[in-house]
Amino acid sequence: MKKPSWIRRVALGMVALFTVGLVAGCGGGQQAAAPKAEEKVKIALILPSTIDDAAWAQSMYEGIKAVETKMGKDKLELRVSERLSKPVDAGAAIRQAASEGFSIVIAHGSQYQSVVQEVAKEFPKTTFAYGTGFQSGPNIFAYDPQAQEGAYLLGFLAGKLTKSNIVGIVGPVEAGDAIKYNKGFEQGVKAANPEAKLRIAYTGSFGDIVKAGELAKTHMDAGADVITGSSQQSVGGIKAVAAKPGAYWLSTDMDQSSLAPETVLAAQAYNWEKVVTKMIELRKAGTLGGQHLTISFAEGNLDLKINPKLADKIPADVKAAVDKAKDEIVKGALKIEVSSK
Amino acid sequence: MDDVASQSIMIGILAAGIRLATPFLLAALGEMFVQRSGVYNLGVEGVMLMGAFLGFFVTLTAGNPYMGLLTSLAIGAVMGLLMGLVSVTLKAEQGISGIGLYMLGWGLSGLFYRLYVGGITGIEGLQPQPIPLLEKIPVLGPVLFQHNIIVYLAFLLVPLAWVVLFKTSWGLKVRAVGTTPEAADTLGVSVDKVRYQCLILGSMLAGLAGAALTVGNTHMFADNITAGRGFIAIALVYFGRWNPWGILAGSLLFSMADSFQLFVQVLGIQFPYELAVIMPYVVTIIALAVTFGRVWAPAALGRPYERGSRG
Repeated sequence: MKKPSWIRRVALGMVALFTVGLVAGCGGGQQAAAPKAEEKVKIALILPSTIDDAAWAQSMYEGIKAVETKMGKDKLELRVSERLSKPVDAGAAIRQAASEGFSIVIAHGSQYQSVVQEVAKEFPKTTFAYGTGFQSGPNIFAYDPQAQEGAYLLGFLAGKLTKSNIVGIVGPVEAGDAIKYNKGFEQGVKAANPEAKLRIAYTGSFGDIVKAGELAKTHMDAGADVITGSSQQSVGGIKAVAAKPGAYWLSTDMDQSSLAPETVLAAQAYNWEKVVTKMIELRKAGTLGGQHLTISFAEGNLDLKINPKLADKIPADVKAAVDKAKDEIVKGALKIEVSSK
Repeated sequence: MDDVASQSIMIGILAAGIRLATPFLLAALGEMFVQRSGVYNLGVEGVMLMGAFLGFFVTLTAGNPYMGLLTSLAIGAVMGLLMGLVSVTLKAEQGISGIGLYMLGWGLSGLFYRLYVGGITGIEGLQPQPIPLLEKIPVLGPVLFQHNIIVYLAFLLVPLAWVVLFKTSWGLKVRAVGTTPEAADTLGVSVDKVRYQCLILGSMLAGLAGAALTVGNTHMFADNITAGRGFIAIALVYFGRWNPWGILAGSLLFSMADSFQLFVQVLGIQFPYELAVIMPYVVTIIALAVTFGRVWAPAALGRPYERGSRG
């Protein structure tokens, strides 16, 4: 590395310029102190994947967008930070948003629990929210989808509709939501069809679409004809199942039927619009956090969506049984066990 | 379990292994040429992502998967050229510029996807093209001869790469430039030119590896669809000791172990899933550890060549 040539000097100069530009760009607009009368709700959304992942992240993004439509575009400001699956990276974005005066910072993932707890102490006037989780704090909302409730109904449908009596789950990682979802699904399958076999397998990732597709193919090779799975990688599973006529997929997080109208039979969808609206209202009333927000049929922020295109595939008595089970869940008559083992 | 079912499952495992090995083979064979010429390209993942996106996008808009494949080769060439500019001409630190290339590819592919596609969209993509007669062979037929064209291409590239690397004068130049660039230079071989050629060729294959995932396998694109496969491909170059046959062995071992563990899980064999998921990695590491012999690497690997300086 002797005598730098002119070209290298130019390159170094460009790098330096670019760095300065970046730092200046990021450092701009540092207004501390929360506004007095919050005429505008400023929401920062931190996502592990992207707003178009057709699952977990997109469902929340669309929920907030729906709130914005209702409140009016001038009443709500939304900033999204994507691809922050690592809590350390997310921590920087969370702190940045809080220091810029965003009033509600939503870190959309269970992996953000500890980093949210840490940052929230430094910004006592800001509202933080994260989920799936249940540990709240003075200015933290923990939201907690009861994934097992819709899962039970989907499992019930699977148990009734499988012809091979084999149902498969394309799981991401055995943790959090996936456990709740799988447990609920399992009980639904058993309740509908004691003969049916449920096979659970995991890819070991949340975002490996290709592997999720291979796992779905593996399930089908081994005889499964109704398949389900959670997390953003599930789109790979849906596409693989769609390639095989006669096989069905059941969705969770959001209605994914548009991805494969002939394959996605039904979906459990989280109604984030209601959850976010509740957070905004609580904050307006002076409650900055401290609550554990449940997403369930009883709360009215969990939906079961049947794909209208395939509704005729579900016999009337099955549909009636599903509706009845949903009623019982709402009333508390039907309890779905999620504690492990 | 009855025999018919167990046979169809065995065929399933092997066929999935072949399918899963395809992107690794393409990307690793490409990276092998790059490293043989003395350059590390850690940006394989980024090139794959660009190839995956553009292959998908052109297939979507033009309606022709072969146009998509050509585009993924072309973007690979462009990114190889870029890597050459940074690491060969400007002689930047190769590890860092490779990571830069990765991030560029990840960022741009995600950005273009959002701007020009905007959501999960399916394409027709490549369909399996069973090879007449051969596909009828019991077991072997469904395992080897009922795939799409990229799969065949990837496996045919193994002997081809071996011939090119060891039996042609260009291959000799590549090996010379990667071991003793000074000597090659003295004999009138342009070190920079050969390294550029390898980077372009290697990145074209990486671009095609990306398209194998989108146009070939999943028929869709999503952000970060490669999910680390480019980095595994780089590891497979080391596993294969910079030799096409070694790379074939590594890719097959890893992918077969992967498809096998999926079946172990699906069939509900009592086995912790955490261990199943890491099985391909563990098997590969063990295989690497027990295959004896001196670890050999191209001597000038990672070292920018400057005429008159002693590395």
